[in-house]
Amino acid sequence: MDDTIHVRTFARFRELFGDGLEIAVAAPATVRSVAAELARVNPAGARELLDGEGNLSKSVIVMVNRERVAGAGREDVPVHPGDEVAFYPPVAGG
Amino acid sequence: MAGRHRDLSDRDRERYLRQIPLVGEEGQENLLNASICIAGAGGLGCPAALYLAAAGVGHIRIVDDDVVSMSNLNRQVLYGEADIAKSKAGIAAEKIRSLDPGIQVEPRDVTLTEETVFPVTEGMDIVVDALDNYPARYLLNAVAQERGIPLVHAAVSGYFGQLLTVLPGRSACLQCAVPNPPAGNPPPVLGVTAGILGCMQAGEALRILLGDEPLAKDALVVWDGKTGSWEKIRVRRDPGCSACGRGKNNG
Repeated sequence: MDDTIHVRTFARFRELFGDGLEIAVAAPATVRSVAAELARVNPAGARELLDGEGNLSKSVIVMVNRERVAGAGREDVPVHPGDEVAFYPPVAGG
Repeated sequence: MAGRHRDLSDRDRERYLRQIPLVGEEGQENLLNASICIAGAGGLGCPAALYLAAAGVGHIRIVDDDVVSMSNLNRQVLYGEADIAKSKAGIAAEKIRSLDPGIQVEPRDVTLTEETVFPVTEGMDIVVDALDNYPARYLLNAVAQERGIPLVHAAVSGYFGQLLTVLPGRSACLQCAVPNPPAGNPPPVLGVTAGILGCMQAGEALRILLGDEPLAKDALVVWDGKTGSWEKIRVRRDPGCSACGRGKNNG
């Protein structure tokens, strides 16, 4: 059985972290622990993924199995082996 | 719509000879009689205005409170060094008029605020969000919702860009798609990134005017200029959204 979590990244996050990542996190995994593992293996990217307190930056768009997870509790959303978690940093310039 | 209905003239039939086979005479007339507000005459607004004008959109309102500066010129392709310190809205309107004196171009040198955003969108069929900051983008999004005007949003950073088309009452709005704006200083932008997204905005506006389904309805369409790929991130309406949902009268 697939015991890793698939991570998709878009735009700047793809440049920073790569795409199509397979990562292993200890059960019970959450969006928070997946983001923390990404940040651990890539400290340069961590500065754009996480805020100063180590939480996922508010503006980052997160999807689990292609469904958006939003709101205050989104970092606690459970993630299971075989799930896909995707991260996109929206842009602002014009 | 811009005043009196304009029928296709012989000059129009010649000018749009290579386009009418795609959009039809009726479609071309829809474009000639359409009014579009382009909010922001920067990296996105310049190409959007150029291609909407070239396609024959009959009335274009260009809104920007800024003046041209040297550091704009890598991406704001309507301006040159001779335009530095002049009004962007004014120069953009002048350049667009010189491309086609037959279309009505209306510069508005105003800052978007709660007071100005309403008159600026008056009488428009589509609003193009080519702004450079989320507070102004959210203001425009909220007024487009209130007036029921489709809004075509884009934003860029570096090699990356995003597109979202909002059909009020029928799709997710900008606030649903990006509820928390990214922080930070103005990003570096490669001119072609803004060019690609500004052209996509013009394309979305044309699709709406021609009765086609927009490409970026209920989706953030993301351009990755590093890998040369487009991807769609699905977006749903947020029932509690402060701009288009339950929360809209609570703010």
